[in-house]
Amino acid sequence: MTTPDAATAAPSRRRMLILDDEPIVVKRLKPTFQKAGYEVAIFTDSASALAAFEQTPADIVITDLKMEGLDGIAFLDRIKALSPDVGVIVITGFATLETAKESFHKGAFDFVAKPFKLADILDVVSRLETFLTTSRHAG
Amino acid sequence: MGVFDGICGFLHLGGRNKVAVPFGVLFKKFKSVLERNNRILTLMADMGDKLGGEYVFDRRYIESACEELSDQIFKLVSDLSILNRCRNVPLFIAFEAVRQEIADELAGRHHFPDTPPTLPLSALRADMGEAAGGKFAMLGELKNVLQLPVPDGFVITTGAFADFMAKNDLPRFIRAQTERLDADEEGAIHDVSAEVRRRIQEAALPRSLTRGIAEALDALGKRTGGLPQQLAVRSSAWNEDGETSFAGQYESVIGVAPRDVPEAFKRVVAGAYSPEAWLYRRRRGFKEHEAVMAVGCQVMIDSVASGGLYTYAPLTRKEEGIFVSAAWGLCAPVMSGEVETDSYLIGRRAPFPVISREIAHKPRQMLLTGETGAAYADVAPELADAPCLTDDALGLLGEASVSLEKYFKRPQDVEWTFDATGRLFVLQSRPLVFSGQPERRTGAIDAATAKAEVLFSGRGDVVQRGVAMGRVHVVRVDADLDDFPFGAILVAHHTSPRYSRVMPRAQGILTDIGSPAGHMAAVAREFRLPTIVGCGVATEQLKTGDEITVDATQNVVYRGLVKELRYFELTEEAVYEDSYEYRLLRRLLKKITPLNLVDPHAPDFTPASCRTYHDITRYIHERAVAELIELSESRTGILDASARKLRSPLPLNLSIIDLDNEAPGDTREIEVNALGSLPLRELMIGLTASGMWATDPVPVDMSSFMSSLTRTLGVGGPGSEKLGRNLAVVSKEYMNLNLHLGYHFVLIDAYVGDAINDNSLYFRFLGGVTDFSRRARRAHCIGKILERADFRVELHDDLVVGRLKKFDAEAMRAKLRLLGGLVGFTRQLDVRMSRADDPRCFAEEFLTAIKPVLEDAHDNA
Repeated sequence: MTTPDAATAAPSRRRMLILDDEPIVVKRLKPTFQKAGYEVAIFTDSASALAAFEQTPADIVITDLKMEGLDGIAFLDRIKALSPDVGVIVITGFATLETAKESFHKGAFDFVAKPFKLADILDVVSRLETFLTTSRHAG
Repeated sequence: MGVFDGICGFLHLGGRNKVAVPFGVLFKKFKSVLERNNRILTLMADMGDKLGGEYVFDRRYIESACEELSDQIFKLVSDLSILNRCRNVPLFIAFEAVRQEIADELAGRHHFPDTPPTLPLSALRADMGEAAGGKFAMLGELKNVLQLPVPDGFVITTGAFADFMAKNDLPRFIRAQTERLDADEEGAIHDVSAEVRRRIQEAALPRSLTRGIAEALDALGKRTGGLPQQLAVRSSAWNEDGETSFAGQYESVIGVAPRDVPEAFKRVVAGAYSPEAWLYRRRRGFKEHEAVMAVGCQVMIDSVASGGLYTYAPLTRKEEGIFVSAAWGLCAPVMSGEVETDSYLIGRRAPFPVISREIAHKPRQMLLTGETGAAYADVAPELADAPCLTDDALGLLGEASVSLEKYFKRPQDVEWTFDATGRLFVLQSRPLVFSGQPERRTGAIDAATAKAEVLFSGRGDVVQRGVAMGRVHVVRVDADLDDFPFGAILVAHHTSPRYSRVMPRAQGILTDIGSPAGHMAAVAREFRLPTIVGCGVATEQLKTGDEITVDATQNVVYRGLVKELRYFELTEEAVYEDSYEYRLLRRLLKKITPLNLVDPHAPDFTPASCRTYHDITRYIHERAVAELIELSESRTGILDASARKLRSPLPLNLSIIDLDNEAPGDTREIEVNALGSLPLRELMIGLTASGMWATDPVPVDMSSFMSSLTRTLGVGGPGSEKLGRNLAVVSKEYMNLNLHLGYHFVLIDAYVGDAINDNSLYFRFLGGVTDFSRRARRAHCIGKILERADFRVELHDDLVVGRLKKFDAEAMRAKLRLLGGLVGFTRQLDVRMSRADDPRCFAEEFLTAIKPVLEDAHDNA
């Protein structure tokens, strides 16, 4: 939908990619994670999100599951193949909670059911950060 | 109707031979009504919470929440159908009407507002753009919600516009002309435009519109003490001042005499077809049928000085301010750039210090004249080089700036004027096209928030998102509101709707306790005032005068002013409150949550008066209790159980249906001890022995006391005794009690037997009509008491639910006595809550008072 607006940002800034086919979701999440210090790119279709990820992999990806075209699970497969270390959080409506479980097997770190509080997803992301740091040190 | 025929057939309702229906069947339905009722209230509260800004939700959520709610309401009406033998057609009609409105809203089918040809400014709100056009809907919001001074007036609605166009066959003519434009836009626009405008100017106003304008002028004259000499007649098109600015595209006519309003109306309408306006619309992808225009008429202010301002002018990386340009006389020549102006830069926070001023030579001004409207005149020589704004006037502009920006969450471009008495009027406010520097935006924000000291975070519930920056003003008593400084952040122990009077002055609100679904929360959202309730420690950690920054989006409170957060908010790509989903949910909730049916004794407590889902739910709850009593009392043999009045020293008006009763014909009054029901017996002991009921109410505020407590049941008009009665369905080990006391409901469902695992207690309290702060505090107090008594408690506004399971019989008896005492206590709470004391004190008081009664339960065990 848009491209990251922080091309001049400090190199230490962590990259985040957010994908949901409903613009309201990505629009709400973008400023939240910008405030938390991320360089955020948002997308509402999986094809452009994937293209962007192929160009510049993100450290963290937040993605919806049920979308037109390439769905969330397939998207997860592709980015994990491109970049095995990427941390993925799945956001999903209650209706797709079952499929969300499948995303665990594909390597998602956690899932959050919509609607959620901003504080909830910030919590999950900070747990993911801790996990990524630990596993990197361990590896 | 197939399903209902089936139900009716099953109940033999239409038939002559009435077969007894097992009570168990009906009682199961009755309980299902109660459970569904609770589910619905919780769903509605959850949907309301989503508006606060703390949640991320999507369209699918809105759809599925509405679907579930509609489904539950439908089943609720169906459940009642079994209880009341299918006499439910009016309720199904009421349900269907609301459901259809919701479905239309979800499908994007707007109902064209069926309005009179004119509406007074005092009736307009932001969401009335369809009827009043963008500009006047927004001016209505400024005047009526933000309480900013806006010149009085009225709007000629889009409906009246459509009528005018249709009566003169103009839409067909314009469509034909549009084809000429499609063929050759550049070449044809001037001819086409001139032709269309001529037709409009020559057209006749429908008689209803002429009459409507005359009446509106008459009413305006009455409001302002005499017919205004001159009016400003201004365009208010769909989308004007919305996302597409249209600034300066449409025509305004100033200095219009009242008798000339119809002519000015046509001139403004014709202005929509000027070559510039028409091309502007076409090139921005507007369809021809979207060229819909309301026309506003406002009293002209006899201006001394006027101008424009930008609420946010970032100068350098360090400095920022409010930029004001001003000239003598009327505003119009300032906007069109025809006169020289003074420039001022003032600070963005009270007391709005002047950072710089450049005074221009201003020899000319436009003034109102008696007959000819407005004309240029010379400025007195001694004033031509003098500043046209005092520091006080700049201060008033500063306050208006902050109010507008706080509400729109966007820098604003504002037109304003001062009259001879120094009164400020806001003429217009539209979003300032503002390009924030991206690297400044994201680069500074995390550094700034990382550096700032966090006072507390993640506490309480966000009621309204946004950033608030300013000095703390702690409010402990009402008098603290009197000297509430402009731009301060209100910090208080609990929420109160009384705070609404300072909301236009406040930057934000923090409270220690309170519910995000309360009345204050609703008002804070109207003002879009960043608000967090239930922080727990706000009054403890903050004192009057502290400078803080509240990030109510992320739920963090910082020490000091974190300007980067404000900058970040003002430059966000999208304002959440302007998103389609937010507006959609808000519109839908208006069809769902308002409660119009409050008094079961009122003559309009009928299915036909149900306008929202909440109304239907409330009506059915009341009706279901009444039906069960009526069924059991009727001697028609429909039911195999009958009701008997409970003999009690207290005026409970309680009917008992005893499931163990072996003599169903007996309808005499009965003593509680003659009933074998353990739960009811223990509850009545708690109610009478605690003395809670008998305690004299505190003799304060008699009006409130009279209105909400002494409404004993069955004192309404003829026939009203059928509604609002009380019922208990009992057996040896079971009790289901529905009490309607004054205006609030208590529901207790208890099972106490030998098997500990089966024992359960359910308590529900739903408050009623009294002032909202008392309701919320009463609910809070009840919640505290239940929590202390080991109940699992849920609080939603003034709905309190307590659950408790698997205690042994002895403990259950004590809990029942406590609930008995609590039932009596709730009657007093309302009045006592008029004092602004901490509700916890009452909770402690109650727990102390009830203690001997509970110990007695253990002794007798």
